[in-house]
Amino acid sequence: MDRDTRDMLLETASRFFAERAGKDIVNGVEKGVWPADLWREIEEMGLPLIAVPEEQDGVGGTLADLMALLRVAGEYAVPVPVAETALANLLVAAAGGKPAGGPSTVALGELSLQGNRVSGKVARVPFAGVAERFVAIVTAGGKSTLVVVPRDAVAIEDAPSHAGEPYGTVTFDGATPEFSGASPVSAGRALELAALARAMQMAGAADKVLVTATEYCKQRVQFGRPISTFQAIQHMLAELASYVAATIASAESASRDADEGGLEKGGSFSIAAAKTQCSDFAHRIAALSHQSMGAMGFTHEHILHHYTRRLWVWRRDFGSETFWGEKIGESFARAGKDELWPALSESRYAA
Amino acid sequence: MSIPKLEFPPFHLPAEAEALRGEVRAFLKETLPNIQSEDRFASWNTPSPEFSRALGAKGWLGITWPKQYGGAERSFLDRLVVTEELLGNSAPAGSHWVADRQSGPLLLKFGTEQQRQAILPRIVRGECYFSIGMSEPDSGSDLASVRTRAEPVPGGFRVNGTKVWTSGAHRNHYCITLVRTSGQHGDRHKGLSQLLVDLKTPGVTIRPIINLAGRHDWNEVTFSDAFIPEDCLIGNEGDGWLQVTSELAFERSGPERFMQNVYVLRELVRVLGRQPSKRANAILGRLIARLWTLRQMSTAVAGMMQGGKSPAIEASLVKDLGTIYQQDLPEIARTLAESDATTEDDLADFLDVAQYASMMAPSYTIQGGTTQVLRGIVARGLGLR
Repeated sequence: MDRDTRDMLLETASRFFAERAGKDIVNGVEKGVWPADLWREIEEMGLPLIAVPEEQDGVGGTLADLMALLRVAGEYAVPVPVAETALANLLVAAAGGKPAGGPSTVALGELSLQGNRVSGKVARVPFAGVAERFVAIVTAGGKSTLVVVPRDAVAIEDAPSHAGEPYGTVTFDGATPEFSGASPVSAGRALELAALARAMQMAGAADKVLVTATEYCKQRVQFGRPISTFQAIQHMLAELASYVAATIASAESASRDADEGGLEKGGSFSIAAAKTQCSDFAHRIAALSHQSMGAMGFTHEHILHHYTRRLWVWRRDFGSETFWGEKIGESFARAGKDELWPALSESRYAA
Repeated sequence: MSIPKLEFPPFHLPAEAEALRGEVRAFLKETLPNIQSEDRFASWNTPSPEFSRALGAKGWLGITWPKQYGGAERSFLDRLVVTEELLGNSAPAGSHWVADRQSGPLLLKFGTEQQRQAILPRIVRGECYFSIGMSEPDSGSDLASVRTRAEPVPGGFRVNGTKVWTSGAHRNHYCITLVRTSGQHGDRHKGLSQLLVDLKTPGVTIRPIINLAGRHDWNEVTFSDAFIPEDCLIGNEGDGWLQVTSELAFERSGPERFMQNVYVLRELVRVLGRQPSKRANAILGRLIARLWTLRQMSTAVAGMMQGGKSPAIEASLVKDLGTIYQQDLPEIARTLAESDATTEDDLADFLDVAQYASMMAPSYTIQGGTTQVLRGIVARGLGLR
């Protein structure tokens, strides 16, 4: 979509999330309350279909449009699977399927196909507890097959994330998909796209953490003055801003590169680097924001933990800094020292 | 009260800049092996007049300046690419560095026509080098407190005072010196001016200040009744503060703020061998990802500047993060090499390299605006002060 349309969509989504995905909704999800109205409205706005082509009844946005939306969703800790469903729908559409309604998720892990039946186990599947279907990409004989498996065809073991979202382990035991098709997106690529989605959500959450901590320090009075007037606090928040800036910049660059290089391979290295960076700094962002807000920010009452706990969970989702860092390190070591700068300056793996 | 949103819009360097990158890379590959350098791993503070002249001959110094002064009138993004390649390939860029980066642009902006004509073409040829005379024994981060006094006398100024940390004054030609031309010490920003000082002027004494690594980069420059002709005043008398702050803002977020010791990373790759352990790969990958991020941030800031914005907060954040990265790098690399270097010889060699880098590292967060000054700027941007 063009720039103006995207900006309008993002602004609408931002206002909508602010109004409808507030503190009570986020806390409710943690207690196991599914916000059916919120999800219905998200579907009415077409958000889960944002990157599905118009001829497949989608909104016709680009990958970059989807990622920009996810940054906004991260900024509000939207506790429903917007990222997972939008990504699942995008993958299904790319494999020639028709995205169905309802919350979906992606089950990215080692799975096998025998005939038409899917087997294997995937741990920490986000929103497994509420997803109506699971989208997976199975690799066999050098070919990638996308499968859509309905909820009643799998066994789900609930394992809520540390942010209280309904994650779980999904076991496919000869499950029959409701759709399968040749996927132009490989399993490895699907993981990259999911990692990019998380990086963008982390950018949104990091931004919110900075704003929250900064506003708090301007209002909190101690020793007769707002604590934001103390140089120690000012420098702490400035340092926090530097980590937030790195998070935003890396995620946005990866999103641009992924979009420009196309769904099947764009921005491979940039995504790995961005997810490494975002995951690497999540701890510092959490530590400094909590330090600046004292005991208040450590309570369940305050919203800061909606964001810091998600940063801690998301840094692990779809590959941590160790996972992606290892891929980068392996490639650059294999290529040798003289390839370091050329590869880095071209945002590509060295070998 | 809303907080400004931090934005780093991804920016692609234009095709002509990338084409130039290829040319610069090829030139460096051919030229660098033949250049004598005092450092095994050179950077922007390693001097080499020979190299600077070779670069000048290619037309890559003063690359953005008007043709009438020998410049190429190319975009500042072209200049960014040249800078990246010099740093990425550890070229000894120290002789021309300040002249090309800071002093030339200052003269272009504020200098007299005579000053420009006399000096800029020599900088472009890689023959004329500059120092910066800002800091004094009692005036570091608090630059407005300078005491060096230039007393107006017939035909010029009589200058008395002392400048310190003056890099390269013992080998450079000129020093753009911040002095008080009127008013009192307590007047702060008022009454300051900048003078173009020929470092061979009688009454100017240059003494080395050796740094902790035993290197002679810095100097103490003392003025004892030194006569500086009036045509060496840069800009207007009394506008020194305005000029100097615009000078400080030049490219705070440039690649020199995170690529100064990139050789440590390159050498780390070498000593880890072609197939490091999983753990070593992960640590190496994290270092590479941080460097990549800094480059994306720096490029984004360049893009914003190209678009006519002045992203002061974003630029300060790049320097803050970048200089701390340069301090972390040798430490992380050192401990990783200790556990994972492929041979004992490689390790011993690398530990020397890393130790040297660690010794130089304290300077990164001091020069060009300390971390604390930068964080003050960011805090102001966040509306905290």
